[in-house]
Amino acid sequence: MNYQLRSVIAEITHRCPLHCVYCSNPLEMRQRSTELPTESWLSIFQQAGEMGVLQLHLTGGEPLARSDIVELTCAGRAAHLYVNLITSGVGLDESRLDALIEAGLDHVQLSFQDIEETPANEFAGTRAHALKLRVAELIRARRIGFTINIVVHRRNLGRLEAMVAFAEHSGAQKLEVAHVQYYGWAFRNRDALMPTHEQLQRSVEIVEAARERLKGRLRIDFVLPDYYAQFPKPCMNGWGHQTMLIDPAGRAMPCHSAPVIPGLEFANARERPLRWIWEESPAFTCFRDEDWMPEPCRSCDRRVRDFGGCRCQAFLLTGSAAATDPVCTLAPTHAVVAETLRSINASANASRDRSWVYRGDPN
Amino acid sequence: MSELVQDSVPQLAPGCRLNAPGQPEDLLLIPEGALRLKGPARSIVELCNGARTVREVIERLQRNHPPENAARIETEAIAFLTRLRDKRVIECS
Repeated sequence: MNYQLRSVIAEITHRCPLHCVYCSNPLEMRQRSTELPTESWLSIFQQAGEMGVLQLHLTGGEPLARSDIVELTCAGRAAHLYVNLITSGVGLDESRLDALIEAGLDHVQLSFQDIEETPANEFAGTRAHALKLRVAELIRARRIGFTINIVVHRRNLGRLEAMVAFAEHSGAQKLEVAHVQYYGWAFRNRDALMPTHEQLQRSVEIVEAARERLKGRLRIDFVLPDYYAQFPKPCMNGWGHQTMLIDPAGRAMPCHSAPVIPGLEFANARERPLRWIWEESPAFTCFRDEDWMPEPCRSCDRRVRDFGGCRCQAFLLTGSAAATDPVCTLAPTHAVVAETLRSINASANASRDRSWVYRGDPN
Repeated sequence: MSELVQDSVPQLAPGCRLNAPGQPEDLLLIPEGALRLKGPARSIVELCNGARTVREVIERLQRNHPPENAARIETEAIAFLTRLRDKRVIECS
């Protein structure tokens, strides 16, 4: 079967002024000295355009930490890509935003950690909230696609309605309410972040009511914590089906978390053509079709919808990347998820203010 | 949400644009991906420049076709623009 690469996620740096307790970047981050130079990214974007890629997501870390961000944006547009900047807002002022828009930036996704300043700064491990509010005003005053992203978890879900109200008046076209996904640093802080069952239910009700009320004005994307799901998420819409992520050093991966899986070798986009990496490199083909699937996936009707779920999560929770995603209630290893949730729900009140670990910034 | 009427002035919403002309296929690029444009769809979107009303867009389209097609062009253009408006790909003032 042929798979068309649709979007490239360019993780242009791991440097970040924020230290979010649920950061999804890998535990081992790339240092500045290993980052690809501008011309390598230019070549990657060019190749992506030639392969029929539509979307380029410039992300990090904080992509604005790169001094060549305007040039990179310009190169993305020149390669006929739709350019989306995924940012904390730190490093964005009026003139830089105008330069980015002039260079062809299509869309900005701005992250918030909360709607109240004190907890927002606590979750981010830095005082960035007030600045983000100013950046939102700058974006609102310009004609550019604008999405607000708020990651939600046990400690901020109580303010979900206020978050929606903020987004409603922010000038954004879309709000993404994303429950933490438990990879990278977030996996380490999982027990302090996982919502209770009751909180989850309430968040679903709030989002459904808001969607109804804001129809035609604000779109709301909602990412659920899949531990609570009956069936797994179609992670990345299938391994190597649509998306390629390239890390700051040029390693090309099917998703940002894939390096947790032992034994995978990721080709470097500086050394290999993007087309070869996509079509032939073992890291992209190994879980692409169905040959790897165990039972119950192999004979399950849902396999064409969820592709067996997430390989990284299967590895993190069962030790085998080729296992059925254990969040699936049909998975033989589902007990590991059920037990985690049971224990978190039993102790959630007692551990409501349980402390977490902040991550540092790569040099 | 305001109804799409003849006096509405449609234009592409922020974050939505046509791909460059001369590509293998005509696409409307949007934050979530892309919409494939077939037949006259691209030229309809190009006419929605934030200055013309729906009525003027339709008149422009009708000019290039025999008069017996005028009613069908109007119905189809309005249906198409309504779909784009419902997807929030165009906005109307």
